[in-house]
Amino acid sequence: MSNSHSDTIPLHASSQSDIDEIENLIHASVQSGPATVHPARPPSPPRASIPVSSSPFIQSNIPPPSSLSSSSSNQKVPSVPAAPPPPPPVGNSSSIVATGFGPPPNTLTEPVWDTVKRDLSRIVSNLKLVVFPNPYREDPGKALRDWDLWGPFFFIVFLGLTLSWSASVKKSEVFAVAFALLAAGAVILTLNVLLLGGHIIFFQSLSLLGYCLFPLDIGALICMLKDNVIVKVIVVCVTLAWSSWAAYPFMSSAVNPRRKALALYPVFLMYVSVGFLIIAID
Amino acid sequence: MDLSQPIEENYANPKTCFFHVFFKASALAFYILSALFADSFVIIFVITVVLSALDFWVVKNVSGRILVGLRWWNEINDQGESTWKFECLDQESLALINPKDSWLFWWTLYLNAACWTILGIFSLVRFQADYVLVVGVCLSLGIANIIGFTKCRKDAKKKIQAFATQTIASRVSSTIQSAFSIV
Repeated sequence: MSNSHSDTIPLHASSQSDIDEIENLIHASVQSGPATVHPARPPSPPRASIPVSSSPFIQSNIPPPSSLSSSSSNQKVPSVPAAPPPPPPVGNSSSIVATGFGPPPNTLTEPVWDTVKRDLSRIVSNLKLVVFPNPYREDPGKALRDWDLWGPFFFIVFLGLTLSWSASVKKSEVFAVAFALLAAGAVILTLNVLLLGGHIIFFQSLSLLGYCLFPLDIGALICMLKDNVIVKVIVVCVTLAWSSWAAYPFMSSAVNPRRKALALYPVFLMYVSVGFLIIAID
Repeated sequence: MDLSQPIEENYANPKTCFFHVFFKASALAFYILSALFADSFVIIFVITVVLSALDFWVVKNVSGRILVGLRWWNEINDQGESTWKFECLDQESLALINPKDSWLFWWTLYLNAACWTILGIFSLVRFQADYVLVVGVCLSLGIANIIGFTKCRKDAKKKIQAFATQTIASRVSSTIQSAFSIV
């Protein structure tokens, strides 16, 4: 019916655009929440799309990830097809690790071993970034983007244990004091930077200060093995300088240049006090 | 002989449930029993805190994913701001989650925090600052998980509602479309 067709065309177009507008609004509101939950959707586009292992870990009623991957395959990520066999987990975890930018899509169904390996490799990469000299390091303020607190936790406990071992008396007090000093010190130093008007994220700073304890850990270990005072002083001085050098770029880039010294001095002071603890323990 | 029904009501992931409870229970048990035996404080501290940290990791990365299909983490974006990201299974998989699993998950989280709070009160009353430290660490790990997963669940519900509204709206719009095209 060409008549009715021509009659309805203008109506159709306007109502079509209205309907389109409504749909766009709905789409926008669904996707624009600040902390929206994605059904295993991939993160923002600039990141590389990573093939994910879809081998199911769970032997349970929950269906294998093929249903998940089929729902996510029509999303932005072109990988994870449901049909072909899943690639081996080892290859995937290494490609996942390579980006180092937060968990890849569809981590909900990855095997546990993948998670462990990912976290361990994150610790190692953070350690390398923070502590070791790296001329190709990009803007230091952004280098510890992928913060984690496991490394600092291990280092603090290790330092406490080493100090406690080296002490001949009052082992428990030494450990408790060392742990409390380091933990509270890290929190207070972070607050210091924040109060000075610096731009640093709380957990990132905690993570950084924890990783910078690594040289002092080594120093404490050496001092435990070698009991000579002169050796201890030298070792502590060297590792102290290394720790402070490691912490310097991150802390200084976080604050106003005129307040750099105010932010860095307490960090140095804390490491000096830990150094004294190491020397004084016998 | 209705053997089929009990199978449905059992835990879907017994191994994960076991580990979920195991680390929490062993941390609590070790803390309570070793305080009775009055061992070296260092050993108590280290083992309790390590067990608590392991439990935190297991809950956040393994049992949260498998038992309730939720995951949360923190990311720092290019502008240097920290954002909390939440992830959940999609609609069909969420509906298939065993209710017993999720009941166990949430209740052990809450019970764990409650137990550590009570132990902390005991230590405070006895003025044992070092034990308060242990309890403080374990409690903060437990509370972090509770807050993270609660936020994640709320976001999941919001997302499901939005999804449902979107589906309804798109259906309504397609019905309107088809109605207009018929006319």
